[in-house]
Amino acid sequence: MEPEIPETFQFMAFALLLAALVLTFLHLLRGPTVNDRIVAMDLTASIIMGFILLYSVLIRKAFYFDIAIVISLISFIGTIAISTYLKQKR
Amino acid sequence: MKELLVSILLLSGVLFILVAAVGLIRFEDLYSRMHATTKATSFGMLLLVAGVALFFSTGVVLLKAILIIVFIYLTAPLAAHSIARSFRKDDKEKQD
Repeated sequence: MEPEIPETFQFMAFALLLAALVLTFLHLLRGPTVNDRIVAMDLTASIIMGFILLYSVLIRKAFYFDIAIVISLISFIGTIAISTYLKQKR
Repeated sequence: MKELLVSILLLSGVLFILVAAVGLIRFEDLYSRMHATTKATSFGMLLLVAGVALFFSTGVVLLKAILIIVFIYLTAPLAAHSIARSFRKDDKEKQD
């Protein structure tokens, strides 16, 4: 029923996402202000969502979509919470 | 045919997320960095979710995919706006 994706493409996609994760983590370590780190954390959540979606294609299980929903919810609430805290502290 | 379409969708979505990460590294202002990450990541996630939904192509997965896409496109501008509101250029060294 599900189509056969060539494994080369899947591992290439994993490698590109890993490169994006490394770049984002470097920015998270280096970023001069707190806001840069919040942006990097937001991007990290999106990259983790991408990893989970690609992994659900790799092992052919559809229920991994729920994890992506939960991660997007938690990342949004966390970003709003930290930036509201910073805004009120100032 | 379908596997080619799914492969193209997955790879291009991942490529957009990689472009977002490169923009996060390369730009030198917080506003331009957020300009890079917000839009490119939203579009990349749209392509990725569409690819995975086309891969499984059952009713529940399509419904969840539409839910994820609508949620991402609602919340990514809100989060970016909130981060931009919490930033002011003059107290850069105080916030560090």
